[in-house]
Amino acid sequence: MVQNVGQNRVPRASIPLDPVFSWSVGNWMEQFFDGMKEGKIIASRCPACGRVYLPPRMICERCFVKADEWVELLDTGTVQSFTEAHVKAGKGGELEDLESPEIIAMVMHDGADTCLVARLEGGSAAVGMRVKAVLDPSAENVLDLLSCYRPAE
Amino acid sequence: MDKEVAIIAYAQTPYEADVESSREMQVLQVTRAALAAAGLKREELDTVITANNDYLDGRTISNMRLVEPSGAWQKNESKVEMDGAYAALYALTRILSGDHDIAMVIGESQASVYGGYVPGIMMLDPTFDRQRWLLNEVSAAALQARAYMNACGVSEEQLAGVAVKNLDNAAKNPLALRAMAGADVRKVLSSRLLYSPIRELMASPLCDGACAVVLASGKAAARAEKPVWIKGVGFSHDSYLTERSLAEMGSLRDAARRCYGMAGIEDPASQLDLAEVHECFAHEELMAYEALGLCAAGGGGDLLDSGATRIDGSLPVNASGGVLAANVACAAGLARIIEAAMQIRGEAGEHQVPGVKTALAHGQTGLCAQENIVYVLGGE
Repeated sequence: MVQNVGQNRVPRASIPLDPVFSWSVGNWMEQFFDGMKEGKIIASRCPACGRVYLPPRMICERCFVKADEWVELLDTGTVQSFTEAHVKAGKGGELEDLESPEIIAMVMHDGADTCLVARLEGGSAAVGMRVKAVLDPSAENVLDLLSCYRPAE
Repeated sequence: MDKEVAIIAYAQTPYEADVESSREMQVLQVTRAALAAAGLKREELDTVITANNDYLDGRTISNMRLVEPSGAWQKNESKVEMDGAYAALYALTRILSGDHDIAMVIGESQASVYGGYVPGIMMLDPTFDRQRWLLNEVSAAALQARAYMNACGVSEEQLAGVAVKNLDNAAKNPLALRAMAGADVRKVLSSRLLYSPIRELMASPLCDGACAVVLASGKAAARAEKPVWIKGVGFSHDSYLTERSLAEMGSLRDAARRCYGMAGIEDPASQLDLAEVHECFAHEELMAYEALGLCAAGGGGDLLDSGATRIDGSLPVNASGGVLAANVACAAGLARIIEAAMQIRGEAGEHQVPGVKTALAHGQTGLCAQENIVYVLGGE
């Protein structure tokens, strides 16, 4: 198979599709973001089974009920999994090399039953490692309020 | 199953990185080939089900312009926006309703026309994960791989071993895109590191292609040559990737249990002659061994090391090269069904395994194999 000899031989029409969707983050994610602005980690809890969802979810799929109880969690948690990223996805969906690798970790906060995915900075990673969330309450974009995790002291 | 439904014909295009053809022509090619193999005319099709995706195709209602090449003009037609293995399920249930005898099932897409990993990013939670741009199909799979390796003591060499086995098998499959006869672990472990532990040769190559299957009711299949019967099917849908354990494939285990119940499989390792699994990444094949009950929980790496799943082993897995050899979104799982049927009919050419009577085919959709479907197929 020779690469790039197919449709590259015929004219290609580039067809941009760049709509912007104004998603409502919903009351549940709003509580999550508002909490982080005050330096708090807010999760939702299922009233039936007690499962704690972080980020907060509106529905407990297991009990088929609204997860409408609220709990404040500690900023500490445990690494469930991680990867050392040597690439990142470019806007066009191709994998571009990173100048220096970064660690992406899946963290379960103490008291939560689900995970958050964020960068892990300030050390190498291991499954089971204890970490602490670093919040940036002054972040302009709510998506940047959780800036990263760092190894817990 | 109480009522009988059989695969009576199939067709696949070669899988290519950038095919010199349109999706419509690829679909026409496999539809005509499958009809010819079944000895049927377009007029004899009762229902047509396609698997494709609006996002991948860059237009909504992406089956609209497939009416012509899929033979669906003025017919009972529908589509699934998932893998073609689910299109086969849709067609199967239509035939079981008693209203249809012959169904055409098609899976297709062309990775060369869209940004490879963007569609996977569009599957993420739009209010958080998607916009933070850390997760995508490969990084999510890397988290799955690490969680599984940590829980079950699997090594990077064992992940590479899956790629070695499948890419070596692919060298015997003329339709495969990525093939490496005589591949070795060192070569896989020196390929480009993407997200540890996943390297380029442990990740399936996204590519262009189409495949088609003709399903027939028992009555209609009685007239066919070498029908391959659907003995059982099971499917299950798990939680979003951050809300479940990534160390195991829970929904694949559920799907297999339901399928085995229908097919009368009590000991899959001895009753199955071959399996084709939908491994988008090398570690997923090892996880599938466990979820499918081919070995005990945690025994995936050992099963690979035993050689049992090699093409000359006691239970070959992905004799075709699997999805590591070619990954056409919306077609890769349907292609597993075709490969399993091909083996039962003894039509697999160089990658034929002798004496296959009962075979398993697996399809998946979603990040970290969120949804899974399992078929058991059998010959006469």
